[in-house]
Amino acid sequence: MKSYHVRRFFILLFVFGFFAYLFGPLILMTLTAFNSSAFPRVTPWECFSAEWFGVLAQDARLLEGLRNSLFIGIGVVCVSVPLGLAGALMLTQVKERIRPWYYTIVISPILVPGVVLGISTLLFWDRVGIMFGMSRESLFYNGIFLTIIGQSTFISAYTMLLFIARLQRFDPGLEEAAMDLGATSVQAFTKILLPFLKPTIASAAVLAFLASFENYNTTVFTIISESTLTTVLASKVRYGINPSISALAVIIVALTLFGAAVFEILKRRELAAEKETKLVAKGLLEKTTRKSLVARVLDPALIMIFLITIAGVGTIYFAGTMGVDECKTIVREEKRKIIERKVRRQQQKAMFKSAVPQEDRTTAPKQQEKVTAKGTEQYKSVFDTQNLQGDPAPDNQETSEPKSNDTATDIFNPSNLRQSTGTE
Amino acid sequence: MKAYWKQFYLKNGKILGSYILIACIFWMLVMIILPQIFMVDFSLRTNVPPPKWGTEVHSYTLEHYKYMVYGSAKAQQSYNVVDLTVFFRTIWAAIMVTIIDLSLCYPVAYFIAHVAKGGWARLMAVSLIVPFWVNEILRAFAFKIMFGSSGVINNFLVWSGILSQPYDFIRDNWALWAGLSYAFILLMIFPIYNAVETLDKNQIEAARDLGSPWWRIHWRVVIPHAKPGISSGCTMVFMLAAGTLAAPQILGGPSSLWFTQIIYQAFNQAGNWARGSAYALVLLITCIIFVLFVMKVFKVKLGEIAR
Repeated sequence: MKSYHVRRFFILLFVFGFFAYLFGPLILMTLTAFNSSAFPRVTPWECFSAEWFGVLAQDARLLEGLRNSLFIGIGVVCVSVPLGLAGALMLTQVKERIRPWYYTIVISPILVPGVVLGISTLLFWDRVGIMFGMSRESLFYNGIFLTIIGQSTFISAYTMLLFIARLQRFDPGLEEAAMDLGATSVQAFTKILLPFLKPTIASAAVLAFLASFENYNTTVFTIISESTLTTVLASKVRYGINPSISALAVIIVALTLFGAAVFEILKRRELAAEKETKLVAKGLLEKTTRKSLVARVLDPALIMIFLITIAGVGTIYFAGTMGVDECKTIVREEKRKIIERKVRRQQQKAMFKSAVPQEDRTTAPKQQEKVTAKGTEQYKSVFDTQNLQGDPAPDNQETSEPKSNDTATDIFNPSNLRQSTGTE
Repeated sequence: MKAYWKQFYLKNGKILGSYILIACIFWMLVMIILPQIFMVDFSLRTNVPPPKWGTEVHSYTLEHYKYMVYGSAKAQQSYNVVDLTVFFRTIWAAIMVTIIDLSLCYPVAYFIAHVAKGGWARLMAVSLIVPFWVNEILRAFAFKIMFGSSGVINNFLVWSGILSQPYDFIRDNWALWAGLSYAFILLMIFPIYNAVETLDKNQIEAARDLGSPWWRIHWRVVIPHAKPGISSGCTMVFMLAAGTLAAPQILGGPSSLWFTQIIYQAFNQAGNWARGSAYALVLLITCIIFVLFVMKVFKVKLGEIAR
């Protein structure tokens, strides 16, 4: 029994660690969006501010990327949902002998690396364009068109899988009955099959849009000279970062949380409805009157979530705008003082050094060694942290207050340097 | 065959039947098969500027594949050490990421499916979705912030006295490993969770009642049942890790390249599309081999992997 408890404790610890790993980075990123520091970080905390959301709203490149992304997302939904549906319907009717081959072909885009899909799409339409003698301005050289096609290649396979799962629960007898009663095949499709597939069409559309919205690997090759949100973000993150990206992440995380909550509520309601219909079918329950549309939209839980979101955003925004300037001046003042103190200390130290050479001899060679070792390892270590901080680091240990120290090393901060050089 | 099409049209009607047929042929031919054939064709031709494509200068050659193995004729080494090293390191790293994710996800998936109680289990399952829909690039960005030399981890380590000065996690690829494992963790946990969840609890109970220790229950009951999920997760994670571009671009140290980055450079910086597509084809073939390998080892069908 004892070993059982020990094991249970370790399992709980493991699960806790897993979720910490899953959410820790996101929480930290969220926090950095509200720190007024010009570099995204949590410690040292400077001022609580919402200014990075303002910076985000004024970023023209990002907004253009966002517009393109939305447009591409809608395009992908329009292409991949009908294609996926056709593919799923085909699978149910294709000959037994050909089915494995057919399935392998249509499922393969999921398993092919996105990079390969992007490249092949780009090359194919380029060659087609040459074959038909199209000009460079035509559709086949348009980044947005190519991206819609390239992404749809594999997103159609996702939607197809959703449709297949739903079609497996479809009773083909219903359609046959309708046709026996004189319905045309189109009527049977629109009156029987489509209503049955409606929820799946909705979820397939959402899935397709989200998959398109966050795709990078395929897009980066097919987009050519245009830009999407992900490509703009990628170039921003690679060459110099600031907290407005965190602000964007906060918005996305908030939307996701909202979506997950809505999804959960809808699912619960669906389960409840299913239970109800089952009970009605068994005759255990009188068929209840259906709720009116208004009552269904205005679910108390949904209203609660909506209000909480508005309240949260409002509080954060107002808290972020109030007193930021005063706080900033204080922080700037503090920083200045610390730097001054530091300079003074270094001056003193320089004086001491000439007076006490013994201390110098013990520390200096060590540092020297480190620098050369790092230097031979790779030439890029010119931008290395250690080399840069070789001077201020020993200094750090002498001071008594570590917190102010962190701010003090700001100017020597390698990440600040990175911003200009890029890590590539 | 004729009878089959007659039946097909009779069932679907003219409009719908034609639509299904045209849509499927368009998808399969124009979007899937032909682009791949064109890429293979392109990778087997000389590298000439776009206006000369399709002319006599654009002839067939194996030079790009040779280049990947032997390097340029002028180089001193007899093999293309840089590209080959990057290739094998990418494959190795992708396998490692797969193993890390599997060892992280299996216990958690089992926990959510069978140990956790009602409300908690649902909450955990839903909360798994949230990080999944946060952009790949933003996830990498979060790790860059965290592992940076003034990031939370370094600040904590220095503050607590474990390190005397910040450690460059990014240059030594710690950030890349953590970020990659994070990026694909959900593609591992969902298939395993779905597979484990369908296991009848009574089977576990029965094994326990018959005196089986916990590890043997997993080895003989749970893992065999979850096999399709495990193989599906492993394949997806391996493919995505080997084919990823964003995370190595953002989190990779200055000295470490990913194979996709070489492809990207061939396209966007060197302007050598032919070599880029040759390398992309090598990546594709590697992935196909891996899928076939997994299908063989786990004895599963393709349909069970792609879900």
